Amino acid sequence: MAGSKKIKKQDLAQLLSQWSQEFSLFVPSRTSGLAEMTEYDGQDISFLGWYRNTIIPPKASFLPHMEEMFSFHRNKQGHQLELPPLEEQKRLIFAIRPCDARALTILDNVFEDTYPDPYYRGRRRRAILVGLGCTNPYDSCFCTSVGSGPSETTGVDIMLTDIGDELVTRGTTKAGEELIAGSGLVKATKADQKRAEQSQEAARQKVTRKVDTRDMASRLQAVFDDRDYWQQIAAKCLSCGICTLLCPTCYCFDINDEGSPEKGTRCRSLDSCAFPVYTKMPMENPRDEKWRRVRNRLCHKYEFYPMLFDTIACTGCGRCIRLCPVNWDITQILEGVPELSQAEGPK
Amino acid sequence: MQQRLRRKARSLLEQGQVDWIIGFEPGSLRFTTTPLITKDKDDTDRLVVGSFIVNNLSNFLIELSGRVAIVAKGCDSRSIVSLIQDNKVNREDIVILGVPCPGIIDLSKVEGLVARDRDEIDDIARQDGVVSVRVGGQQREFPAGQVLFDNCLGCELPTPKEYDILLGEATSPIGEPTASQETLARLKDMPPDERWRFWQQEFGRCIRCYACRNVCPACFCKRCFVEESEPQWLLPMPRWQDNLIFQAIRNIHVAGRCTDCGECERACPVNIPLRSLTRDMYDIVADLFQFKSGMDIAAAPLLTAYEVEEAEDLIR
Repeated sequence: MAGSKKIKKQDLAQLLSQWSQEFSLFVPSRTSGLAEMTEYDGQDISFLGWYRNTIIPPKASFLPHMEEMFSFHRNKQGHQLELPPLEEQKRLIFAIRPCDARALTILDNVFEDTYPDPYYRGRRRRAILVGLGCTNPYDSCFCTSVGSGPSETTGVDIMLTDIGDELVTRGTTKAGEELIAGSGLVKATKADQKRAEQSQEAARQKVTRKVDTRDMASRLQAVFDDRDYWQQIAAKCLSCGICTLLCPTCYCFDINDEGSPEKGTRCRSLDSCAFPVYTKMPMENPRDEKWRRVRNRLCHKYEFYPMLFDTIACTGCGRCIRLCPVNWDITQILEGVPELSQAEGPK
Repeated sequence: MQQRLRRKARSLLEQGQVDWIIGFEPGSLRFTTTPLITKDKDDTDRLVVGSFIVNNLSNFLIELSGRVAIVAKGCDSRSIVSLIQDNKVNREDIVILGVPCPGIIDLSKVEGLVARDRDEIDDIARQDGVVSVRVGGQQREFPAGQVLFDNCLGCELPTPKEYDILLGEATSPIGEPTASQETLARLKDMPPDERWRFWQQEFGRCIRCYACRNVCPACFCKRCFVEESEPQWLLPMPRWQDNLIFQAIRNIHVAGRCTDCGECERACPVNIPLRSLTRDMYDIVADLFQFKSGMDIAAAPLLTAYEVEEAEDLIR
């Protein structure tokens, strides 16, 4: 960790105020009644005391639960469209957890490359992510089983490691290094760096929920047509939208017009594949039955998405486990997906 | 009680008296149970009861075909009765395994009291009216009234009245109706504009996951009004206004069916105090019609039964 710097926690508010001159700055907060990333108010850094992770994933800063796509009105020339401003102030998300930062790189594949989405890109392109490594992961966290970890730096520009009274700070991208260089932080000593490494290793040891995800795409393919299997898995699912809407990697949305044909707005809002109406079509619904929806959610994350982008669309944040009203635990389900027989082999 | 439950459940399956067992098994997180829905007699060895069997399992009944044995606390048994009254399930297809319930522990309250998350707590044990919590090597004791779910504090039927097999001695209510309705009382004391702002903020957090609706045994419509698109009653976008209207209509739709089981509020991932709304409706129904859902299996369902000699001209 050559080139690391550090900052005292008591000086953090000052640094954040400095950064908020340049950025639209988001920090973990509970002022709304639940933990989520909200705009920094200039002083409240109490999250250092309570923050393990947010309920609302930080994806909401880039893909909000709802947004206006354009407004329209009709005049003699026909329908006139008006786009909302797409290039917003640069955003800085402070203390994002490694799982959630990595989740944004998973959304990037969809919104940046495959279908360039001006709304998402407008917020995301110049955004800075400052990661805060975990020191106290939940018992529902399983990041180390899906190729991540509590101090993983994928997606972040700056990585912070909590060493007690101070945060060791390391730039992991050019933008991150430049921001640190201009922030007047002091150099971290060798002893600080050693403590940071120990802290990271200790956190890794605390992630005790493990699931073997090797060959998962092939395993899911092999069991795909087994209706009895999926019915049993889906039995207790309530088909609510908690696990999808609060998943940092789920990105499906619905589009609705509001107003009249003369004047109105077109809006989009997050949708969930757990809802029967998600696939409702005039003549039929291919996923009317619950087990088909449960299968889809699991296979999207562990089979279809990896086929497209070569990575699992789950970062092990554990929100779906913590928040599920019936404790439908994805790690138990994954663990139970039958191993491949010799004949099947990984595809 | 647990051993007896396991034996009964196994023998019901073995003797072909039921096709399904619905109960609870240990969950994957600390102090958590999870629904067990099975046809396999060997699974019955995993059945549990205790202070953490939070779910109201009755809404799984309408998803299963065949005869079903279901583990039911007092409140759950009321929901089952209500479903029978609404002809959603047949009494003769159900074997109710009644569990006398002295109240369920609300982990959020415990978390608040010890300022730790549930996975940081070592042990929670209940001995009659006292709940001891071990955290960081220290033992702390709380009166049950401080850590049970709000709706449990005002529970009117801890022991099921309608059952086939009762798995334990009848237990008496906690009897703390005032504490049970603290949030509601606070809201009623607010001036209307303050209360309006309160709900505006609360419903501003709603993400329209519909967990409140989907856990609710009284919300059994095959297609909910929010999913109608012609006409579209409500936009699916989670604006606070639409969220509030959704909840208000849902509340009116379950009037006379809601048993105050508290599942809507418990399932809400963004902590909206939904039970304040449903409980107020429950009290209004009790006031206006002297009707409490699920208490009397012989009673006609409140808002769907029609008599020729109706008092009101409106629907005659």
